[in-house]
Amino acid sequence: EKPLHADLILQPDSKVPAPKDILAHQVPNGRKEKRRQLFWEKQAEKGVLPRAERRLQARLQRGGGVPPDRAPEKGRSDPERSFYDIWGADNPLERPLVGQDSWFLQQTKKQRVKRPARLQVKPSQVPAVEVIAAGGSYNPTFEDHQALLLRAHEVEVKKVRAEEKVERQLRIPAGTQLPTAETVLQEQCEGLLEESGDEEDEEAAAQPGDAAKPAPRREKKTEQQRRREKEARALESQQRREKAARCRRQEIFRLRWLRRQVTRWEAELLRRRQARLAKRRLKDAMPRRLGRLRYEDPYLEVQLSDELPDSLRTLKPEGSVLHDRFKSLQKRNLIEPRERAKFKRRYRLKYVEKRAFREVT
Amino acid sequence: SRRLCILKGIYPHEPKHKKKVNKGSTAPRTFYLLKDIKFLLHEPIVNKFREYKVFVRKLRKAYGKGEWSTVDRLKDNKPSYKLDHIVKERYPTFIDALRDLDDALSMCFLFSTFPRSGKCHVQTIQLCRRLAVEFLNYVIASRSLRKVFLSIKGIYYQAEVLGQPVTWITPYAFAHDHPTDVDYRVMATFTEFYTTLLGFVNFRLYQSLNLLYPPKIDGQADIELKPVEGQEYAMDSESYLEKLSALSASLARAVAPAHEEEAELDEFPVEGETAEQMDAKKKEQEALEKHKKLFEGLRFFLNREVPREPLAFIIRCFGGQVSWDKSLCIGATYDVNDPSITHQIVDRPRVEQQVVGRYYLQPQWVFDSVNAKLCLPVADYFPGVLLPPHLSPFVTEQEGDYIPPEKLKLLAMQRGENPDEESEEEEDEEDDNDKEEEEEEDESEKEEEMKLKKMEEQKTQSNKMLPVKVTAGKLRLEDKQRLEQEQQSEEKRLAIMMMKKREKYLYKKIMFGKKRKVREANKLAAKRKAHDTAVKEEKKKSKKARRA
Repeated sequence: EKPLHADLILQPDSKVPAPKDILAHQVPNGRKEKRRQLFWEKQAEKGVLPRAERRLQARLQRGGGVPPDRAPEKGRSDPERSFYDIWGADNPLERPLVGQDSWFLQQTKKQRVKRPARLQVKPSQVPAVEVIAAGGSYNPTFEDHQALLLRAHEVEVKKVRAEEKVERQLRIPAGTQLPTAETVLQEQCEGLLEESGDEEDEEAAAQPGDAAKPAPRREKKTEQQRRREKEARALESQQRREKAARCRRQEIFRLRWLRRQVTRWEAELLRRRQARLAKRRLKDAMPRRLGRLRYEDPYLEVQLSDELPDSLRTLKPEGSVLHDRFKSLQKRNLIEPRERAKFKRRYRLKYVEKRAFREVT
Repeated sequence: SRRLCILKGIYPHEPKHKKKVNKGSTAPRTFYLLKDIKFLLHEPIVNKFREYKVFVRKLRKAYGKGEWSTVDRLKDNKPSYKLDHIVKERYPTFIDALRDLDDALSMCFLFSTFPRSGKCHVQTIQLCRRLAVEFLNYVIASRSLRKVFLSIKGIYYQAEVLGQPVTWITPYAFAHDHPTDVDYRVMATFTEFYTTLLGFVNFRLYQSLNLLYPPKIDGQADIELKPVEGQEYAMDSESYLEKLSALSASLARAVAPAHEEEAELDEFPVEGETAEQMDAKKKEQEALEKHKKLFEGLRFFLNREVPREPLAFIIRCFGGQVSWDKSLCIGATYDVNDPSITHQIVDRPRVEQQVVGRYYLQPQWVFDSVNAKLCLPVADYFPGVLLPPHLSPFVTEQEGDYIPPEKLKLLAMQRGENPDEESEEEEDEEDDNDKEEEEEEDESEKEEEMKLKKMEEQKTQSNKMLPVKVTAGKLRLEDKQRLEQEQQSEEKRLAIMMMKKREKYLYKKIMFGKKRKVREANKLAAKRKAHDTAVKEEKKKSKKARRA
């Protein structure tokens, strides 16, 4: 069929032929590659293969299995881990170190550093697991349960009293009159408004206190005056020395009084030392202050009389052991009291009302 | 670094002069001793931590870039570390480790009850469960359990392991929501260390008992017979652990024990001890031996509604045999209908079919018997009966403190008296009295009457001029006693008068404290009386209602 006119227009129209693209024919190192190819073909006829091919064949012959997967190293939490006698004479921890020079081991850091004795002491004397009071039994005796309820009651009473105290302090005492705007204005104007009697008193107070008399002129001291002053000074110092010596000599007669004074002071020191020791002992018994938060006792786990179960089946456990263990760790000074990290926003939240609402409000 | 501190056992230090240390400010911060931190840096685990950090960073990058092959490769080569040397460093001897076992046990038992969601590593939970089960099996094999206490928080156990009393708490098995104010990372770090410690301790304990570790169930015939059954309960990999956790099988020994006759130990008189002390020790030993064999020969069956693990553990600890319903758990040795069952533990208000020759008891019987060190009379623990209160064995009463009447009864029973008969007689008498008079005569009144009668008799006797020896002798004895008492009280009064003001003040304070205790004890007794009377009246009313 006759081709389309549009296609005919698009055919090349020039009499100049397009330049030959030499780059399309160029192969870098073309002659060398050709020669290499010919070389290897000849070698292949002889039976010699290039190194890469040889190695591949050898590998295939070897079996060519996938390398075995190394089992991932299981660490401390592996449920199937094995244990050994760590306190026995021959244990895997110390086998490599047996029989070698201790100096050598220490210098090459193969032996571990000795743990200081101060770390063997426990930070608190509180026992690790504190058994709950007898009233915490799931089927307690009447008295024990009452005792426990009493303790919980006291805690609640304390809280209520603290709240009431705050309220009491903030309460406006009955009978006072709250200041109104008029009284406030009056208070502020006290002393500002001019009255006749005040002015005269003010003037009278300003007058005294004029400039003081000029200081008297000094004349040069004469030799006599200097000599006399020197003698007076020497006499004074001698008298002082004599007095001191006399006092010290006379103090022998005050020995008893002095001894009493010394014993009193020593008794005072002893008393202070004992007070300090007692305070220190009290502090040791309490949980230490180790961080930002103070240690707070956990809530007493108590079940009210109508919550007490009839049988073990109907028992609803109160309090969680996890919480109790956590608090116990804090009480024993092993960790510092911690709270959950709060969520802090970096930028303030912006609230935008929808257009529809903006029209309404 | 906090993790490292916890693992190594380095605790924060409270400085004496906070201002000095804090460079002038009193803001409360946590302080550690510099020496301790320097000691920390010698630890080889520090390098492992750094490697782990690098690993995490690389992993995150690979994830972000979507290079999954890299992710797999990295995960295969995840760095890990072990805490063995830290255990050896912190506890150079085995006894040191035993002293810290309380905390370790509580944590392990706690973690083993966690649900296996992603909050803590599932591997940790599995390891904790395995170690807990191993330890329970050890306690059963060595019969070291001494005290049990059921509280509203959990169950407290006390066992004596190689001379050291070890107390731990196990939470109840019912699921509870996890509190949010607990730091899980810190607890997980503690648990890591404690699991390692407990593993080594377990190994040593098993060695001391001549048992195989890791524990194997004794009797291969069982294993051959039950593979089919095992598949119903758990996968093959887990079935072994489940069977072990059933606590119903005995463990295999490492070296077959030769049948030795128990030779009587020679008694070497320890210097410094009198014969009385040795006798007391002997008695204690005998009592302990008796305590260990409390449930020997008894066969128990646990109903489905009763908590299986604690009861199975306790019963087996004291020599009894226990089984449960097949649908509950693997390892049930005998069925409900086995005729040799002596006790069945139920917790329902009524039991329909009762087999003759079996006692149907509530679970508290087991716990109370263990604490009382003898098999308590079963009548108080029948299903539907109001149980006596569960007393705490960890409470030691001192003189002057209030002892509840239940505990008095228990002590009396332990001494071998029979308060049951007496109490029954009293109740009969009282019932009779009620029927006749509707007034209760207190025992004290009865005694007073008896005393008055005696006095009258004496007077009449003396009037009749009967042999004077007897009465005179009595009078003299009384005089002597009274005289002595009077003398002592007079001396006391003199001494009090002669004390200085300060000492008197102290003395008054102490006496006030003592009297307060006595007053409180009296108050409690009065309350108890009131309570008892109220209960009795209710009983009477219910009786009358029933009759009418």
